[in-house]
Amino acid sequence: MWTVWTVWMVWMVCLVPTTSEALCTEDDGYKVRLSIKTALGGDAYEWNESEMFFFKATLAFAMRTYSGGEQYDVSNILVCDETLRVSFVFVVTKPSNTSELVPRTEVENAIKKSRHRINSAFLLTDQTLDFVGINPTLAAPIQYDTPPWLIAFGVVMGLVCAGIVALLVSTFLNKKRSKKSADEEEAGRGNGILCESIRGKDGLFNQGLVDDDRLTKL
Amino acid sequence: MDTTMEKESRPSWDNPMQFVLACVSYAVGLGNVWRFPYLCQMHGGGGFMIPYLIMLFVEGIPLFYMELAIGQKMRLGSIGAWSAISPYLGGLGIASVVTSLYLCLYYNVINAWSFWYLFHSFQAVLPWSDCPVNSNRTAYLEECEVATPTQYFFFRETLNISSSIDENGGVHMGLALCLLLAWLIVYLFIVKGVKSTGKVVYFTATFPYVVLIIYLIRGVTLHGALNGVKYMFTPKMEQLANPQTWINAATQIFFSLGLGFGSLIAFASYNHHNNNFENQAITVSLINSGTSIFASIVTFSIYGFKATFNYESCLERMRLLLMNTFELAEDTVHIDNISFWITDLNRTQPEQIAAIASRIETCSLEAELDTAVEGTGLAFIVYSEAIKNMPAAQLWSVLYFFMLLLLGMGSMLGNVTAIITPLRDFKVLAHSLSNETLNGLVCLFCLLLGFGFTTRSGNYWFTMFNEYGATFSLLFIVLLEIVTVSYIYGLKRFEKDIEDMLGRRPNWYWKIMWVAVSPLLLISLFVFYILNYIQGGAPTYQAWDKDVVREELTQIRLGLRSDSEISCVNLLLLSAVKLLSVIPVLILIVF
Repeated sequence: MWTVWTVWMVWMVCLVPTTSEALCTEDDGYKVRLSIKTALGGDAYEWNESEMFFFKATLAFAMRTYSGGEQYDVSNILVCDETLRVSFVFVVTKPSNTSELVPRTEVENAIKKSRHRINSAFLLTDQTLDFVGINPTLAAPIQYDTPPWLIAFGVVMGLVCAGIVALLVSTFLNKKRSKKSADEEEAGRGNGILCESIRGKDGLFNQGLVDDDRLTKL
Repeated sequence: MDTTMEKESRPSWDNPMQFVLACVSYAVGLGNVWRFPYLCQMHGGGGFMIPYLIMLFVEGIPLFYMELAIGQKMRLGSIGAWSAISPYLGGLGIASVVTSLYLCLYYNVINAWSFWYLFHSFQAVLPWSDCPVNSNRTAYLEECEVATPTQYFFFRETLNISSSIDENGGVHMGLALCLLLAWLIVYLFIVKGVKSTGKVVYFTATFPYVVLIIYLIRGVTLHGALNGVKYMFTPKMEQLANPQTWINAATQIFFSLGLGFGSLIAFASYNHHNNNFENQAITVSLINSGTSIFASIVTFSIYGFKATFNYESCLERMRLLLMNTFELAEDTVHIDNISFWITDLNRTQPEQIAAIASRIETCSLEAELDTAVEGTGLAFIVYSEAIKNMPAAQLWSVLYFFMLLLLGMGSMLGNVTAIITPLRDFKVLAHSLSNETLNGLVCLFCLLLGFGFTTRSGNYWFTMFNEYGATFSLLFIVLLEIVTVSYIYGLKRFEKDIEDMLGRRPNWYWKIMWVAVSPLLLISLFVFYILNYIQGGAPTYQAWDKDVVREELTQIRLGLRSDSEISCVNLLLLSAVKLLSVIPVLILIVF
């Protein structure tokens, strides 16, 4: 009885890891690649056990958020194939039954939903924290009420039209003014004296043509 | 003030400086920025200066001098001036005016594009820096993915280009608005003739230099800029043996100075009789060439920056590929030791290398620098790609497109003046229409015809006009001009006129150039163009293939196609394109 129990224990101890290893395949899970040094350069942190724990916790958080409160834990995230690249494969087991895997599509949707949170947790971006097979949702284009180019266009167009109108109006006014002064001149052609000023007189007294000269009578 | 006397006397520049600035503004145009650097690159960098400068002194300055002399002496636009020289030569003036008209029609479209880009620079993120996303936000639009965002923005969002010159499509409303604005601004600048033009050229002639200096400082401080400048200035002397180099140098000088359009004659006709145009001719020509060289330094530093950026992106992609395929740690693969790693891995794990062989690119800085681009492609695609990678990209974008606008507007002033000056010389028109009305009608006419260039196939029409519309007839016009002045009018009479105006006879140097060297040069250029035209077959243009997302060389075909019919209007227009260059020549002969 005791030997049966020991054998069973040994078998369990050996099998459980292999079971979890058997669960963790790239077909059932996702491969993750982190490019920490590329993203952070000098401020890059070292990838170690604690960081891996943090990652598992973040994934558990993502699963919890997506499933609406199901109690995913760090132990539900199985990781394997770790490399120096800092890449690994992970699978998610169900919290109710640790030998059953959560379907890939669910995991994908969960990650897509919390992608931004996962990225910020590790100070990385969509390009430097790469879930192979999960394309990042691209940022929505900014919608403007009025396209900004139209505003700039409107401003310049307004100024130009105002300039043209101002020029044309000033030319027109100048023409009218010079035409008016030309008309006034027309009326007084001659030696520049207006008719009005000599209307009442017989003529202008011209000193140069005075007849009597007291001195020259010889 | 006697108004009738005012009408008889010709308006004139307020001071000689305005005339010089007007000529500079006209001559220094977009060609200095986008054609000269390309030629420099194609024909051996620093070595190209030799044929360029030789052609400047042998062909450019003498012809420029001659046109200014004629304008200042005759005090009439091109039609009147040539009719005065010989009554049989009225056609020469008309040919000039027609060529100027062609130029006016399509040149302002470039200004419309510059406005479009300028207005689109007032955004937080430049629209040509990223591809637009598709409807479910999973990926970028396919057409943009295969091309680059800058190409996509130019061909799809700015031009909305169709696949060939036959497919007309509708008018692009945004571009049409920008064209309207461009013509309104031209009208504003020329509405009062030289009185308004004279004031505007103070700005349009000088501000581009301010921007060029700012860009020079920004350009040479960019990462990798010196690669481009070194590349440009390393002379490849063997190119000097290539006759194409000399032909291109001669053609570049010729078109860069804007000879034959009648603009120089028109500008000079508003001068005082004794204005010293000899010094001014030399000054303006030297400024024009100097600007070309200056602009090409700026362009090459931008090229160098762009090439280095692309080269380093390529290396980064390779590094990522190696790291991901072979699970190597990040700090073991650097961009310096990529080639070492590839050879090493080829030895140790050849099958895996073979598996990714299709994705391995050879990154070469020389290959990036060798991609020579000219024309609108350089100005709107290459430059905007470089600008989007600069810090504070919006500022640089605004500055750059504003400079392009000023260069284009300055040249437009000359083009439009070349049309309205001869028209005003006709007494009938001058008395029945006021200055403002005549100028407005010319602008309106050009605007309405110009809308054709804002359609979806507009860029192809633009290319046709640009490459085939004016080149051929201009050579013929200027050849006739120089032959007329030297032989029909007589060099002696011309010399006397110049002595009359300047107080001294022209140097022996000018006389030799006018009588012998320049005409010979022009004849050889003319013969070369004819040979090229005959050999070339149907006119070709680069069409944007939407499926392959690349420009492909396409011929204008007049035959029926299986998938589309060619309407009568298109057929007529296509034939007109072929005749474009010939019409002024025909007018010349008929008159």
